Amino acid sequence: MTDISAQTEALGGLLTRDRIVRWAPVLVLVALVLLFPFFEFLADLVEGKEHVYLLDSRFFSIRNGARIGIAATPALMVAVGATFIIIMGSIDLSMEGTISVCAVLFAFAFLGWGGTLASWAWLAIPLALVVGALLGFVNGMIHVRLKIPSFMASLAMGFVGTGLALLLTGGDRLRVEDELFRSLLTVRWLNFPIMCYVALAFLLLAWFIQSHTALGRNFYAVGGGEQLAQSSGLNVARVRIMGFTLAGIFFAVGALLAVGRIGIAETATGNNFMFVSITAVVVGGTALWGGIGGVWNTLVGVLIVNVINNGMVVIGLPPYVQDGVLGTLVILAVALSTNRKSVTFVK
Amino acid sequence: MNLERIKPHFPWMTLLALVCVVGAANPAFFDPLGFLSLVTDVVPLFIMALGMTFAIYIGGIDLSAQQVANMVTVVATVYLSQFGIGVAVICVLAGFLFGAMSGFVTTRLYVPSFVSTLAMGFIALSAAKYLSGQRALSMDVTERNTSFGWMFDSTAGVPHQLAIAIALLAFAWFLQTRTSFGRALKAVGSGELAAVASGLNVDRVKILAFAISGAFAGIAGLVFSVKLSGGDANLANGFLLLAIVAVLVGGTPLTGGVGGVINTAIGTLIVMVIRAAMVYLEISATQQQMVFGVVLIIAIALTIDCSKLSGVVK
Repeated sequence: MTDISAQTEALGGLLTRDRIVRWAPVLVLVALVLLFPFFEFLADLVEGKEHVYLLDSRFFSIRNGARIGIAATPALMVAVGATFIIIMGSIDLSMEGTISVCAVLFAFAFLGWGGTLASWAWLAIPLALVVGALLGFVNGMIHVRLKIPSFMASLAMGFVGTGLALLLTGGDRLRVEDELFRSLLTVRWLNFPIMCYVALAFLLLAWFIQSHTALGRNFYAVGGGEQLAQSSGLNVARVRIMGFTLAGIFFAVGALLAVGRIGIAETATGNNFMFVSITAVVVGGTALWGGIGGVWNTLVGVLIVNVINNGMVVIGLPPYVQDGVLGTLVILAVALSTNRKSVTFVK
Repeated sequence: MNLERIKPHFPWMTLLALVCVVGAANPAFFDPLGFLSLVTDVVPLFIMALGMTFAIYIGGIDLSAQQVANMVTVVATVYLSQFGIGVAVICVLAGFLFGAMSGFVTTRLYVPSFVSTLAMGFIALSAAKYLSGQRALSMDVTERNTSFGWMFDSTAGVPHQLAIAIALLAFAWFLQTRTSFGRALKAVGSGELAAVASGLNVDRVKILAFAISGAFAGIAGLVFSVKLSGGDANLANGFLLLAIVAVLVGGTPLTGGVGGVINTAIGTLIVMVIRAAMVYLEISATQQQMVFGVVLIIAIALTIDCSKLSGVVK
């Protein structure tokens, strides 16, 4: 008797409401990955063509997987940076400016110091990371020291960043054509370009920071209850500034990957990253009010957004519907992954 | 002098200081006709910011405003010949409906307004692209003039566009300060849990607030579309962040509950003066955006009322 009750409890413990909600983003991702090939299957069925579900799918292929990977990696890095901020319950809207400045300064330094990775120009990469960290640090200082909510501080910093990039380039485009640097995109291991592995390495680094360092735990402490964290002796201001600095570094990595992908650095390099990355973070299940979620959630969220975008093109949805479908699916994904029991109200 | 007592007055003091600085540097700024045209130009942005105030006042945000305005420019252009001036009703209703849907998704599906309004914006963008056939449309000039030509006239020196803006401001102010709905908005913004506990139907108040925001975005789109005599799915791009900035600089914090529509009027004027200053101070085009950002940080730091943020700055 005791055995049976133990077993049912184990099964019940496996499928609790909490656990389903926690895994909802992954379920949504799996459902989407199975859904798009189904549409292809239906289309071929109507036309009377031979089609084995999944096997003959153009969407569910390694080639297309690599395509999604290439599209997703810069956004993933930006979203990972934003994740730390959102875990703290703040928000960072400066990414577009930071990315543009990092990309443009990187390109200037890279071209000025030799134009190929085999020369001293490799120093441009750490330079871009330092610039990203610096911009993030300034962002955090403005937020904490001037007591401006992060939404406004980072929004204004975004304007400053985009403006700075425009000032530096004067509106010109900089071409980074070094083959060694572009091998980020062109050289493939196991069908995936190097930039995917670089992003994976930085994702693991982010996971390590989040789960195995005091700083990472402090992000959760601040997000879970700032006043509580403050009164238990945590230097909240310092944690916040460190968080924004860290986010700046990840934005810079995103900028480098974006330049590696397109081969061009310009003021517009950062365009469209802001809403995509924050949407991805939230879709992945990280709550905007802080304290919940993490970088793996963000990976799932970025994949969801990119799978939707890619899948709609593959099954040939008319372009004017795509935005609407994306919006609807984002609402569904977030609604599904919210645990209504734990949420008292939503702003 | 008590610092706490003058803090709420910081926004208009900042505005005054900015006007004086720009005027001192270039007295041409004080030319009344030039000033009037500056104010008239900012009317669509102001109307959008006015609606945004309601969303922010309850502690939310409306990121769909720009796309709703985009959609309305297309709707107005497409249906002008069919309905004449009646198209205005359709525009306002369309905005109201989209806003209400955002509110519904936020309150009933527990999607934060940051995401729900962003997503609703994508849906509005789709509608705009579908209706316009992804082309830039233009209005028939005679039809526009018979239906909306009055907008460009002026009575006793006051352009009618400005009169519309003032009327809408008066309406919003009345709604905010003189109705029970306005009190409910303040209650929700200051403390949602307390509002729920005191028996207020918070969901309905929030849905209505987002709907009003959408309706104002619709009006903004209509005015903009009439001004430019056309419609396009990207026409109002660039308005969203400025509208949010106008609300925040005016002194309505993102946490909600304080500030209001008069603050937004001041905030819009601050944004207008900063942007105009670039022209009057002859700052080159490539520097303008950066200067705008820096001045914005200073303006926000000056206008923000820290005492209302209850210690926590998120």
